[in-house]
Amino acid sequence: MSAPTTRRIEFIAVAVIATLLIVVFPLLNSAGVISNFTLNLWGKYLCYALLAISVDLLWGYTGLLSLGQALFFSLGGYMLGMHLMRMIGDLGQYKKPIPDFLIFLGWTELPTFWKPFSSFPFAAAMVILLPGLVALLFGFLAFRSRIKGVYFSILTQALTYGGSLMFFRNDMLMGGNNGFTDYKFLLGADVRDASTQRALFIATAVTLVLVYLGCSWLSRTKLGLIQRAIRDGENRVLFSGYAAAGFKLFIFVVAALIASVGGALYVPQVGIINPSEMTPDKSLEAVVWVAVGGRGTLVGPVIGAIVVNALKSWATRAYPDLWLFFLGGMFIIVVLLLPGGIVSLPGRIKTWWARRTAASAETAAPLAS
Amino acid sequence: MNFFHRARRLLVLAALSLGLLSRAADPARPIIAQAALAESPAQRIAIITTLIGSGDESIQGLLAAWKEDALFVYAAPDGAKIPVQLSGDKDDKDSQAATRVDTGKPLLSAAGQPLRLIAADLTAVEHTSALRRAMKAVLDLLDLSTPDLKKRISAIQTLGFAQDAEKLAALQARQKLETVPAAQLALREAIALIGLKDASTEVKLASLQELEALHPIGSADALRAALKEAEAASHPSLAAAARAALNAVDRHLTTVNFFGTLFRGLSLGSILLVVALGLAITFGLMGVINMAHGEMIAVGAYTTYVVQNVFGSGLALSPFGFSFHLPGMNTGGWLYESYFLFALPLSFLSAALVGIAMERTVIQWLYRRPLESLLATWGVSLFLQQFFRRVFGSNNVQVSSPSYLSDNWTFNDIIFGWNRVFVIGFAGLIVLGVWLVLTRTSLGLLIRAVMQNRNMASCMGVRTERVNMLTFGLGSGLAGLAGAFLSQIGNVGPSLGQSYIVDCFMTVVVGGVGNLPGTVVSAFGIGLADQSLQQILLNPVLGKITVLIAIILFLQWRPAGIFVTKSRSLEG
Amino acid sequence: MITKFTQLLSVGALALGASFGTAHAAETVKVGILHSLSGTMAISETSLRDVLLFTFDEINAKGGVLGKKIEPVVVDGASNWPLFAEKAKQLLEQDKVAVTFGCWTSVSRKSVLPVYEKNNGLLFYPVQYEGEEESQNVAYTAEAVNQQATPAVDYYLAEGKKKFYLLGSDYVYPQTTNLVLLEYLLSKGVKLENIGGGFKKDESGKIISAGKYTPFGHTDYQQIVSEIKQFAASGDACVISTLNGDTNVPFFKEYAAAGLSAEKCPVVSFSISEDEFRGLPAKQLVGQLGCWTYFQSINTPANKKFVADFQAWLKTTKTPGIVKDGRVTCSPMVLSYVGVYLWKAAVEKAGSFDVDKVRAAYKSGLSFDGPGGKVTTQKNMHVTKNVFIGETKADGQFKIVKSFDNVYGEPWLKGKFKAK
Repeated sequence: MSAPTTRRIEFIAVAVIATLLIVVFPLLNSAGVISNFTLNLWGKYLCYALLAISVDLLWGYTGLLSLGQALFFSLGGYMLGMHLMRMIGDLGQYKKPIPDFLIFLGWTELPTFWKPFSSFPFAAAMVILLPGLVALLFGFLAFRSRIKGVYFSILTQALTYGGSLMFFRNDMLMGGNNGFTDYKFLLGADVRDASTQRALFIATAVTLVLVYLGCSWLSRTKLGLIQRAIRDGENRVLFSGYAAAGFKLFIFVVAALIASVGGALYVPQVGIINPSEMTPDKSLEAVVWVAVGGRGTLVGPVIGAIVVNALKSWATRAYPDLWLFFLGGMFIIVVLLLPGGIVSLPGRIKTWWARRTAASAETAAPLAS
Repeated sequence: MNFFHRARRLLVLAALSLGLLSRAADPARPIIAQAALAESPAQRIAIITTLIGSGDESIQGLLAAWKEDALFVYAAPDGAKIPVQLSGDKDDKDSQAATRVDTGKPLLSAAGQPLRLIAADLTAVEHTSALRRAMKAVLDLLDLSTPDLKKRISAIQTLGFAQDAEKLAALQARQKLETVPAAQLALREAIALIGLKDASTEVKLASLQELEALHPIGSADALRAALKEAEAASHPSLAAAARAALNAVDRHLTTVNFFGTLFRGLSLGSILLVVALGLAITFGLMGVINMAHGEMIAVGAYTTYVVQNVFGSGLALSPFGFSFHLPGMNTGGWLYESYFLFALPLSFLSAALVGIAMERTVIQWLYRRPLESLLATWGVSLFLQQFFRRVFGSNNVQVSSPSYLSDNWTFNDIIFGWNRVFVIGFAGLIVLGVWLVLTRTSLGLLIRAVMQNRNMASCMGVRTERVNMLTFGLGSGLAGLAGAFLSQIGNVGPSLGQSYIVDCFMTVVVGGVGNLPGTVVSAFGIGLADQSLQQILLNPVLGKITVLIAIILFLQWRPAGIFVTKSRSLEG
Repeated sequence: MITKFTQLLSVGALALGASFGTAHAAETVKVGILHSLSGTMAISETSLRDVLLFTFDEINAKGGVLGKKIEPVVVDGASNWPLFAEKAKQLLEQDKVAVTFGCWTSVSRKSVLPVYEKNNGLLFYPVQYEGEEESQNVAYTAEAVNQQATPAVDYYLAEGKKKFYLLGSDYVYPQTTNLVLLEYLLSKGVKLENIGGGFKKDESGKIISAGKYTPFGHTDYQQIVSEIKQFAASGDACVISTLNGDTNVPFFKEYAAAGLSAEKCPVVSFSISEDEFRGLPAKQLVGQLGCWTYFQSINTPANKKFVADFQAWLKTTKTPGIVKDGRVTCSPMVLSYVGVYLWKAAVEKAGSFDVDKVRAAYKSGLSFDGPGGKVTTQKNMHVTKNVFIGETKADGQFKIVKSFDNVYGEPWLKGKFKAK
């Protein structure tokens, strides 16, 4: 298939899906065809899709397997969560003007660093600033000393582990293990209302489409080319005179921001954010979505996030005892037998037809880092 | 009240001489019987207090029974009230054997038959908290002459901290008889502590000086109180002496904490070393990111659990709906306690076998794809965790520590737990073993050859597949050994491995991948840093977070770890 | 292999049947069970699912509720708090259950609370908790702080203890309990320097709370135990522990290895029940204290019957995934059991499954004679019940050393006790 044709097909597909998500689903929901529950669930999946894209941007496109994306996802969530907590006002259990969990800890006044979060613009800016800064700092340190490959994975894992330990502490004054919950209002609208949830769903869908288009554009620019070159042979990029560290840092920060925005959209829809969202497990789970969907593509992570989570919603209900067998097994099978993920299936079937006898290991080779 | 007070004094003296000089008489039973029949709580306390200093052996059992509501007053048909103790097994009517408190003989009916009584029909003799305290005072003095050294010292200390001048005589009497140095020391401390409450300034001053010389940790509270008192009474010399004594205690505490922290750091380092060593081999030498390393540890821990049950009463398992029963050998005593020694090699073997199975089924396809090996092994890890849940249940299982691992030596107030001393020695032995295997055996030679250059080794006729398998088995087996040990200090449950996995990776990365001496140094370094920070920050989590940040910064300085394996290869 | 496969299939089929089987919808009432059957909390919560299924069978065998058989809808919260909210929504909006029995951790309850309030559902919550909450959509059969922590302090004070070390896991229950305990201890005349574990201050430097906190899954208690040993060196000290199940093992093993014992410095734990005890080193725990509103060792005919019936049910039940051997009963299980009967009583009094009517009936003061004695509902959605303090024995049971009758469940305790 020639590149222009593929792009045209892709464009049409994106347009169709975007219309479906942004216009049709919400309409069907207000008409009562799609239940609030289902729409809300899909809103959650779309947030996960954003997280998956951020993982893929690093892993699939740049060869950096970050196990710390859940940290940025949660940080974004926490920043907006702080605003949502302030918006509860005095409607909490204690009917006091500060969040309940602070009263649990014996506080009577709002701690200073909480004060600016009463303003939505400030919170929204922090959704971008804080994760961006963390990513910038960590990325700068990591890439400067040329930490890569598995070391990068292990260090990012340690980063998110350290973050979760920090947020688990109640003394951090961020709600500890319980995190933030029981939100009431966002921008004056009741968060629990179906219409607000619908608006949030639309916002998530719009963001996802924009991020998708942005990433797709990015991958076609020169930067995208260098990105893939770094993935396939970083030293050659270096010897060609490119400062790989700068490019990697840029991508790392962009990926962190995508995850962070995803997290910020996730929190009001799910109604809770707490530190178990930033444990290394969650990052690894996001990596599974990408692996299952197909890394190195932009559709893959979206498909993966939706398929795995839908499966999870269903399996934890139908086969609660077997879900982890499922998840673990899926991981092993995808890595061993289907390195290209779901999106590679059609191609693989085609190749399989073409040369039934050929060893399948060869097809996976170009993706190996 | 006054009468009681004086009577008590007299009785105390009488009892003291009785208790300390002659232990043959058995006067306690009638006294306790009398107390049980007394009308008011105050009377009871007064009577019980007279027992102080008595060494009578019946006291302990009777007072314990009283506290547990097993003493009753039996109203005989002729109207007499007889205090009785109910004991032994209940029969189908809930009745128990009754013993007379005053004589220690079975309660007899009019016909001379032993009577059995039902607890629910009788009223238990009451006890208030004040009475229980009085009983405790009696029991404390009782323990003053017990042959059990630990108990004796603890009794002496309890008396000292109570700072009750009335007990001074008993302690001084004991001081003349005491021969064991540790108990003598405890007596000196106790007498000095009581001296702080003395009316005369000289005694107070002498006591303070004595405490300064002895600097017992427990005296800090009493010293602070004495200091306050001296300051309130504006008595400069006393205050100065109290301050000096407090400083001595503080200095002693600092020393104890310093060496304690050092020891705790070493023991934590040893644990890190034991858990990370297997990973240093699978990850460091083979380049496989084994996220299921934690589960290999769990395999070892569960093996220990199974071995323990086989030595005990057997184990019923019901995995996946089947149920079967592992027969037990029902051993006891030292043979049962030795289960741990058998568990060690078995843990190694079982984890090694699981590791080899994993290598054959999953990892062997992923040697050139380290990131994929990370993902696949994480899948295996989830799989194994759920497997443990299905086989052993989602609850933690109980592994009891043999007695030779659950006591301690205390030297100059620094605690050396036997389990901790054991792990330090254990870590040393394992490192030595691994080093011997790698450098002194032909397998070790092959392992090093394959790890250095797989293709070249293969060309030379080394069966690299087999070496891979064995190396992975070795690494997993070491994790199993770690699991056997961890079962002695922590949880054995399906998610046991998860608590260690990040620490393991950190240890290996900091040490320098592929470098065993580096792992040793980094394990002890992280252990010491963690414990020192905990001691300084007095917060277990902040210490850990600080260590994580320090590691990230450390890798800035030395990206390849403490010891770098030099290589001319570009892609390393 | 084939048998295993068919077993797996039947497990699946049964699970499907449990959630979708609506063949006799007319004669049944759907009741939700929302507990973690996987993940870290499965350790504790699976037992509650088991006892709930047992209770439903017991009630169904006697004709059900208002003539309708209870049809359980079991969902797995998977120790994942957002998933709890999702599952709660599913139960209320899709399955339309009449009532839900569920949650263990405070965070899971907090996570589902908005869902229940929005849909006007009813949740029965059975596990000791920090109080400071009184939702109209939650029936708290759980122990409030004054049904567990303050009675334990009273017991210690009566035993002549003067120094108190507060230790807990870092989550809301220990934090709040210790905050209340700090106020309570000060109100009882305990001096500030005799309270161990450290203090927390606000920005102005005022002491607001106390206690030492360790994260979930903490494994290294060396430093803390040596601190306790120094704290307890002067005698008359005790530890009040709100460590959660898992971390008790390393803590108590370290505690024993450092030569500390129940005689020297007893530990009262609020999170160790008979069920958790199964995974703990019994030898190291002997003589330490527990405080609950039920112990398996309670010597009454009602309790003996309950324990025997539950054991018999375990032997015969066909539900997959239920461990049959070595099972015990404990307070959260009994409070789940009692909860079902209280709900049944409320439904029968209201004559309807409608949540508003059931709630009104529930608040009117219903009583049920459970295995732990009489339990009475209160206006504030909590219950009055007996409190027991027990000493642990080597066989994993508790010997009851003290009991308090009919303790009123008071959720709002913060600021109630004033320092002397």
